[in-house]
Formats: sequence, C-alpha cells, structure tokens
Amino acid sequence: MPPKGKRGHANDKPKSGEDERDEPLQAVILADPFETRFSPFTLERPRCLLPLANTPLIEYTFEFLASAGVEEVFVYCGAHREQVEDYINRSKWVSRSSPFAKLELIQSTSNSIGDAMRDLDSRGLLIGDFIMVYGDVVSNLPLESALAAHRARRTKDKNAIMTMVLRAAGTSHRTKARSVNPVFVIDPSKDRCLHFEQMPNKDGSNFLSIDSELLSSNQELDVRQDLIDAGIDICTPDVLALWSDNFDFQAPRKGFLHSVLKDYELNGKTIHTHIVTDHYAARVRNLHAYDAVSKDITSRWAYPLCPDSNLIQGQSYRLQKGNIYKEDGVILARDCVINSKTVIGRGTSIGEKSVISNSIIGRNCYIGRGVTIDGAYIWDHASIADGTTVKRAIVANEASLGKKCIVEPGALISYGVIIKDGVTVRGESRITRAKRRRENGEDLDEGKSDPEVVGEGGGGFEFHDSDEDDEDEVVDGLVHRQPMYNLSHHNLSNESISTLNSDSEADFQVSHHTPSSSFLSTTSQDSDHAANFDHDATGSIYDSLVEGHETANIQLELTALRMSTNASDHQVRRAIIVSFVKRLSQLVKSGTSVKDAVVQVFKQHKDLIERSIFDKNTSVKSDQVDFLLLLQTELTHRENGNMILVSVATKLIELDVIGDDGLMQWWDSPKSSEGEDMRKVKEKTRQLVDFLNQSSEEESEDDDEEDSD
Amino acid sequence: MAQGATIAPGLTSFLKSLKTTPVDPSVEHFTSLLKRRQIRSSRPCAIATVALLLRVVIEFKGKDAAKLMERIRQVGRRMISAQPRELVVGNMVRRVLGLVREVVDENADVETNAASDNAHSHHDSLTRPNLNSSISNFSPLKHVATEPTDSNLSQSEHMSDSGELYRRPSLLTSHTSYAPTSNALMVHSLFGLFSQPETPSTSSTPTGHQSPDRKGMLTSLNLERLANLSMSNTTIDLRAEVMDGIKELQDELEQSDELIAANALDHIHSNEIILTHTASTTVQKFLLAAARKRKFTVVHAETYPHDHTATHGILLTGKKRESHQDDEDDVWKPLTAAGIQVVVIPDSHVFAIMSRVSKVILATHTVLANGGLVAAAGARMIAKAAKDHQTPVVVVSGVYKLSPVYPFDIEELIEYGDAGKTVPYEDGDFVEKVDVENPLYDYVPADLVDLYITNLGGHAPSYLYRIVADHYRTEDITL
Repeated sequence: MPPKGKRGHANDKPKSGEDERDEPLQAVILADPFETRFSPFTLERPRCLLPLANTPLIEYTFEFLASAGVEEVFVYCGAHREQVEDYINRSKWVSRSSPFAKLELIQSTSNSIGDAMRDLDSRGLLIGDFIMVYGDVVSNLPLESALAAHRARRTKDKNAIMTMVLRAAGTSHRTKARSVNPVFVIDPSKDRCLHFEQMPNKDGSNFLSIDSELLSSNQELDVRQDLIDAGIDICTPDVLALWSDNFDFQAPRKGFLHSVLKDYELNGKTIHTHIVTDHYAARVRNLHAYDAVSKDITSRWAYPLCPDSNLIQGQSYRLQKGNIYKEDGVILARDCVINSKTVIGRGTSIGEKSVISNSIIGRNCYIGRGVTIDGAYIWDHASIADGTTVKRAIVANEASLGKKCIVEPGALISYGVIIKDGVTVRGESRITRAKRRRENGEDLDEGKSDPEVVGEGGGGFEFHDSDEDDEDEVVDGLVHRQPMYNLSHHNLSNESISTLNSDSEADFQVSHHTPSSSFLSTTSQDSDHAANFDHDATGSIYDSLVEGHETANIQLELTALRMSTNASDHQVRRAIIVSFVKRLSQLVKSGTSVKDAVVQVFKQHKDLIERSIFDKNTSVKSDQVDFLLLLQTELTHRENGNMILVSVATKLIELDVIGDDGLMQWWDSPKSSEGEDMRKVKEKTRQLVDFLNQSSEEESEDDDEEDSD
Repeated sequence: MAQGATIAPGLTSFLKSLKTTPVDPSVEHFTSLLKRRQIRSSRPCAIATVALLLRVVIEFKGKDAAKLMERIRQVGRRMISAQPRELVVGNMVRRVLGLVREVVDENADVETNAASDNAHSHHDSLTRPNLNSSISNFSPLKHVATEPTDSNLSQSEHMSDSGELYRRPSLLTSHTSYAPTSNALMVHSLFGLFSQPETPSTSSTPTGHQSPDRKGMLTSLNLERLANLSMSNTTIDLRAEVMDGIKELQDELEQSDELIAANALDHIHSNEIILTHTASTTVQKFLLAAARKRKFTVVHAETYPHDHTATHGILLTGKKRESHQDDEDDVWKPLTAAGIQVVVIPDSHVFAIMSRVSKVILATHTVLANGGLVAAAGARMIAKAAKDHQTPVVVVSGVYKLSPVYPFDIEELIEYGDAGKTVPYEDGDFVEKVDVENPLYDYVPADLVDLYITNLGGHAPSYLYRIVADHYRTEDITL
C-alpha cells in the first residue's frame, strides 16, 4: 500500500499542478433547498430572492463566491425558476464585468438535494474541485486557506473528498440552528470528521452514539456541537459520484455525510472539516435564521456585507451613528424616532411620532403617523396606516395594514395581503392571498379572503398547506403551530427532507414492520446491519424506480449495499419485492391499470429479479418459491393484492423469470397457504396454476414428474 | 498548492485583468472589489484608480477634450460612489481631470495666442475685484477648499506674454507633484514662508508669477476655449499628452515614499524616541531612511484589532502578513535589522509612555484640506496624548492622499468595520445583547498635528489648503 500510494502521489502532483492553472474554480449554488420553511412567502417567490436587509439573498451568495475568486458558477434552480432566471439575467453577475466567467442556470425536475446532486453528476459539468453552497449563505469568509488545506490533503490522499467549512460559535448563539443540533465528531489532528449526527435524532432523544471503534482507534476526539454549519462544502467530483452511487441519499448532512462517514470501511472516503474562528458564515435556513442573520448584518458582524456596501447597483445606503442605514430619498417626519439598528430604503416615508427600532424597512413603503415598529421586517411597497403596532413580524411586498392594527410577534403577512383597520393579527398566523401553485398547475390562484383574519373587506386568508403531499404538511405544520421567533422549541428538521425521502420512510415503516411481525419471525433474526439493509435498499430501489433509473444502476447500488451489510439473498429479494410492490400500488393508485403498472415495473427491471434468483438450474426452486412467498406476503395488506398477484405472476412467467415449476412449487408449499390473508391473496392465482398445469401436460409428458407432486 | 485559481481577487488580479478587459467591465470589477474591501487603503486604491483611468484615456476614441473629461468624470463618479470613504479614489480622478484641463489649456494657448490680447485686458479688468471675495474662500467653512481662481488659466495667460519656453517647466511642477527632490519650485506662495518654519523648502523663493494677485475667475473663458478646441483642434494628440501626465502621476505614486523618506534625516535625530502606529509602508521607509545614519528608538503601538497582525509582521519580517500582492516594495528589512530598537506596546499604553517620547510619527489614511486627517483608529488618542505632553506630532503622507474635502460630517468619513474583531462572535449572549461599534478610522483635527511631511516637503497643517489648490482644479472639486 505505501509504495502504491506514493506512486499515485508522485504522478498526481505535477498533473494536478498543471490542471489547477487551467481549471477554473467552480461552484454550485443550490438555489432551492427543496423545503418550505419560508411559506407562505415562497409560494410566490423563490426563496433565494427574498430580501435580507433589502438585498435578495442570492446576492450575498454571489458576493461570497466572487470574493473567493470563483470563476464558474452553476445555479441549481427548483421552484420559480423563471423568476430566478429573470433576476440573474438582469443582475450584474451575467454582465461582462461579472467576476464569473460562466454563470449557468440548471433546471431540473429534482425534488431533493440528492436528486439534484445526482443530476449534476450525470451532466458532468464539474471537472475539478468545486464549492457547494446554498442560495442563502451569507459569509465573508476568505476561502483561500480552506481551499489550500483541501488541496493539500487531496494531493496526499485521493480519498479526502470533501471539506466542510464550519464556524465556531460557542454554546448558545442566535445564528446557530436552534432546533436541531448538528454534532460533529472530529479527529483534531487530521481535521477529519469521523461521525456526524443531528440531535435530537429521529426519536427525539438527545443521544449521540459513537462507534466504539472510533474511540479506540483515535487518540483524540473532538465532539463539537458549537459549530455554525453554513453549508459551505469544498467538494471533489468524487462527491457527486458518491451521491450517484447511493440513490437513497437525500439530505447533504443527515443523509450523505452521515452515511458516508458510517460507511468509511466500505468506500474509504474521508471528509474533513475546516473550522474557522473569525469571519462570518451563516445560512438563512429558516425564519429564525432570517431574523438572526438580518441582525448580524445590520450590526456589522458580517462586514463588509452591510447595507452600506450597496451590493446591488442603485442602492445608496449610508451608515449613521447607531447602525442606522438610510438610503437617499427617505422621507422622515420631523418628530418620528428612528432608533438604532434600522435600515430604511429609498422612497419610504415615515409619519409623525412613529417609532422605528431594530427593523428593516424596504423601499417605497408608507408608514403612517404614530406607528410603532420594532424588530419587524417590512418589505418593499408595504403600507402601514396610522397608529398600528408591528412587532417582530414580517410584512411582505405590497401588503397593507389598516389603522390601529396590532401585529403580534411572529406573524407573517404575505404579498399583497390587506388587513383592515383595527384587526389584531395573532402571532402564529400566516396570512397569504395565494394558494399553492401546484394545485392547479398554472398561475397562482387567489384564495378567498377570510374576513375573520383580515377584517371586513380585507384581502387574504390564513395559510394552510392544503397540498396533497403529506410530508409537506409535517414541516409546515410545525412552522404553523409555533410562532416563528420563539423558536427555542422549534422542531424543524435541520436539513431538508425531500418529499420522497420522508414519504418513502413513512411508507416503509408500514410495509416493513408489518411483515416483520408476521413473516420475519419465521426466518432467523437479522443482524443490525441487515436491518439497515432492509431500510436502505428498499428506499433506494424505490427511489430509483420512481426516478426511472437504469436497471444496471439499481443493481449496482443494491450489490454494493448487500456487500456492505452482508445481507442475505433473501433480504435482497425482500427489498426488491417491497419496493416494487410499493411502486406498483402507487402507480395503480394514480390511475394506471394493474396490468400496465406491472409491465412498467416488472418488465423494465426484470434483470433485477433475475439476479436475485439463483436456482434456475436446480430442481428444487427454493429461491423462486421464496420470492413468490415474499410477494404474496407483501400483497396481503395491499388493496387488490390478489389481482396484483395474478398479473405479477403471469408477467413473471411470461418473462421467464419464474419457471412454471417454481410457481407450482410455491403453490404447493405449505407456507403459501398459512393464514386467512395468505389464502385469500393466493386464491385468484389458481386460474394461472390450472392453466399452467394444462399447458405443460399438453406440451410434454416429460415434465410430469415435476409438475405433479 | 494554492495557485492562480485560488487566489482571492485583489489589487494584483485587478491590475492583471485590466490589461485585457475593456474599461466598463473593469470599472465594475473595481467597484465590486472596493465594495468587498478587497482593494482597500489609500495606496492600492490610488494605484488601481490611476491604472483604470489610464485605460479610460487609452480607450477614448475621438479628440474632444470635453468629452474625455465627461467620460473620466462619469467613470470617477461610479468609483467614488462604490466606496465614498476611500477619498483617494476621488483625488486621483480629480488629478487626472486636472491633467486633461492642463493639456487643453496648453494647446489653447498656442491656438489662441492671437486672441490673448483681448483676453488679457479682459483678465485685468476681472481679476482685481475678484480678489477680495476670493480670499474669503480660504475659510475652512467652505465645503471644499479651492483656490479662488483657476490658477492654470491665468498662469497661461500671463505666460502668453512671456512665451512658450517659460511655461513648460512650471506646468509640470504645479500640477503634478512628482518632481525631483529640489523643493524650490514647490512653494508657490508667501503664505508658505510663514507657516512652515521647519522645512527645508522655506529657503525657496516664492515664484513671483504665481502670487495670488493675478488670478482671475475666467471659467467662462476657459469653457469657451474648450469649445473652441473641440471644434478646431486636430493637431495635438490629446490622448498621448494626457497619458504622459498619468504616467507621471503613477511615478509620483511609486516614488512618494522615497521622496518622503528623503526628509527623514531632518526630522529624526540621534537618540530620539519615536512613537508610531500601524503597519504603514510610508512610515517604515521614513524610519529606515533615518536609521541608516542615526540611532534612535521606536515605540510602536500595535493598533489592535485592525492592523496588529500586519504591524507584527512588518516589525518581525518586514512583510505585512495579510498582503497577498507581492509588490516588490512590500518587502524590506525590518527596522530591527537596521539596528533600531523597537518596542511594541498595546494602544492602551500610549499615554503612559508619551512622556518619554520625543516625537510622534503618524501614518494616515487621508489628509483633508483643513489640515485634519483620517487615520487608523487610535490615531486621535495618540495625537491627543502627544498634545498633552507637548510632543510634536508629525504626519507622513503622500500628496496623493491629500483630499480637497472638508470634514463637515466626520461620521461620513469614518468607516465602521467588523464588530467581530473587537468582540468574539462566538460569544452568543454578547452578540445578542450588546451593540458593538468598531470604527476603522479616527479623525484627527488639525490642531493636534504639528507638521505634515509629504513628497513635496514639510508643511504646516494650515498650509495644506494651498497644496490642495495647486493640485486640484476648482471645476473638478465636485465631480
């Protein structure tokens, strides 16, 4: 090993030295983190264009990349792509003076970060090391030292695939993620991240389980939960490959990082950390972070990313004592009071005796007399009439508040909402005028106004995520139930969980646990690893099916998983069955006929099944029987299970995956007739068996001894 | 391993890209670097600005001087608005504008020789009454210090009598301060005689033809000429002449430190104890020049938290650690290598040690027309302590840092930096509950300064308005 490593090193060095001069530094911005933290604002606008201190979020990201000397940028858009595209095309970042030689928008249909990464991998755009950030990162970190450290590590060891840039931030900090505590276990001598976990974990406990091997094999271990993870990763293309190899990874930290570290023995890849103790780095990952980062920016912690740097052309903020930033053309009444840490945009007028403190007010807002605004975020063109009090709330563009309203802390008032005079907006309300776009496929639907919420004659209604995707509801519901600012017990999952992931997980629980009680008990209890396998494999196959990946890829993935967890063939078959059936029933539910669905799922991926059955040439078809048994069991608690079983069995025979004799053996096996459910499902298949019996008798007499038993 | 691609943008990368990119993108590039503070502090800003303006002139097609000036002004406005607190940018733009005017005037002279009689009589009738009112312009109350009159114009008129030969040398000296070490020609006014007793330049005789009595407010005439020029003149090569002027300006930037250092022996004597602050190249070179001949002690305030790493670096290795641009003049021997004893003290000890200090030498960010200066935070405290102890305060600064701006609103001039440098950002509770302000600069009023040493020699603070007037044209003060 050592000589080999050395050779690789020697070969590598001059080459990489040459390459680096040619290779431009590339970066990927994930503009859509596939989550709904900012509802209802994100219904109408992409998240990366929401204003943070009156500057769209993505500007900060671009600034950060530009100051790091990045030359090529790929922006990965999800929802509201047109708006992002439109914005970027009008921005300075595409002009000739742009520091980026290349700025490309990538649109894909992916709905999780994992999908986006796999899509990126397939595009092959990234040639060298690249920086991966979100479209909401705010940072003034110089990346030079991190990049240098990353490259140094990489020349030494090709398996050092990723460096995470983290900012130390003490035990309690407003900018840190509140609800979930990412915990990094780090080997300080090598800056290597050994283990990653988020607390509280799935079951809500604050436990951290560290592999005992880590403790014995490392002299020193840092267990750190004081880090702000701004999601700045320096990656090598291997990272993308790893994403591609693992179809079930969805979230970059909880999924990817956690698993890659866990599977170190398997893939040998190491991930490193670069912890900085100065400069600023944060992600605006939810509304709480929005609040915190806004404060950091106005208090100049993120200098030079301050309002008075006027990041966008046309801004003209000036700093006044006490961190008050005013643009030219602000109209202030003589006796209004502007307290410290306030930003006021151009064309805004503030009436007499109004008191503004700790707030950010956009452009062309109208603020009447005697208004009290404290800790609030008022976006462009909003209007607030006389005598209203707004505290710690967000009032979006063009919203209008009537006279003597009270907006309690935590309220979110979305675009164009009209609140009539004297209405009290409760802290947990989220008022919007727009319904979700996906519901009717086309433009935003204006919902019916709810006079109880906005007052008689107002516009807007309480926002409910009425989307059919249940998993969205989970996230939204949490935001919904809790006021945005009292987020100490805010229970948002830190990393975005894609629709699919949580979906499949939820489903899996049903489909896996039930059989395990009735069926698994009959087989030997699997090891811990194997249990993992069930989960991982099922999830990954299912995802691949949904996304329509190639059979060969699924196979590869499955094999890798099988090897890594030392799973039995039986488990592989079970994973295949569970995921196939799940996909099948999903298709059926969505309107496809059973037959078509079977063709779609089973015919396309017949190789997968064939590769899990190894008894083609033996006379006792135990694998085939096992397969069919599993199928039968799985179908016992599915709707139309019997129908599906018939069509699947027919198809399998037709495809010659299962032989006639295999089917017969299954039919006759005692296990297949155990219990009421099993028999019920099986019943329909009798026709098929009969038919096969007949045909085989007609065709040849030789097979008789096999058929009849 | 960190090569080309990884180096963060800065002055070097900007200058490199300037060669290949057209002006407008370069201006954008420069403004974004300014906004990101990747080019900061006076010298890099000045170098970048002048290099950029040189490109503007090179790319300027056409021969219309008025248009060229408009173009420069337009570019200048963009640069200034990007970072209004880097006054040097504005200074350089004004200097270049002055250069263009000068070229125009010079040529107008040749062209309108015939008309000069007329102009001359006109000039006589106009100048006299103007004089009184223009004197009041010296008052610092005016937002920008300007010479009451357009000296160049009147000068050229004056010279139309004496001929071409005479005006060439004076042209150079009065509008670019790049000049050989002889200071004789620098001092243009009698005021200078009385206000700067310490400097060698006092010996110089004020040149008569530039005394204030022949100034005239002839801007209209000047404009007329500009118009004339744009219509008629095709013979002169405007671009080439302006470019020459800009190159001279670049030379001035390059050599100002050496010229300043040449004065060192007059100010630093053996066995003195000198107190200074920040990692200023100018100050270091100044001290090094003196160290060649004399032995003295330097007490260095480390200027925590903005400049202390650079200060430590410059004292230990002679190199500012943070600077990634590998200018050759960024590396030199540290003072200690020259046999000078250097004592680094925290800023809080300045007052305690002041009683033993014999001279304070301050570096500066910008010098203002009223004689005050904007310098790294802590400078005012040092100057105040020095005043208390009657210790002379000497400010070393290139003329390029001299700005025609009056400090109306001091807050406007002072930049507030990263609060995290004074309080650790890790301290969550603190960040949450306490407002931290971290000014990067101090304003030091003129009465705390005893002497300015520029590349032109030594000047009293009260005299600076004259140098401003010599370097900036009235018309260009407001861009």
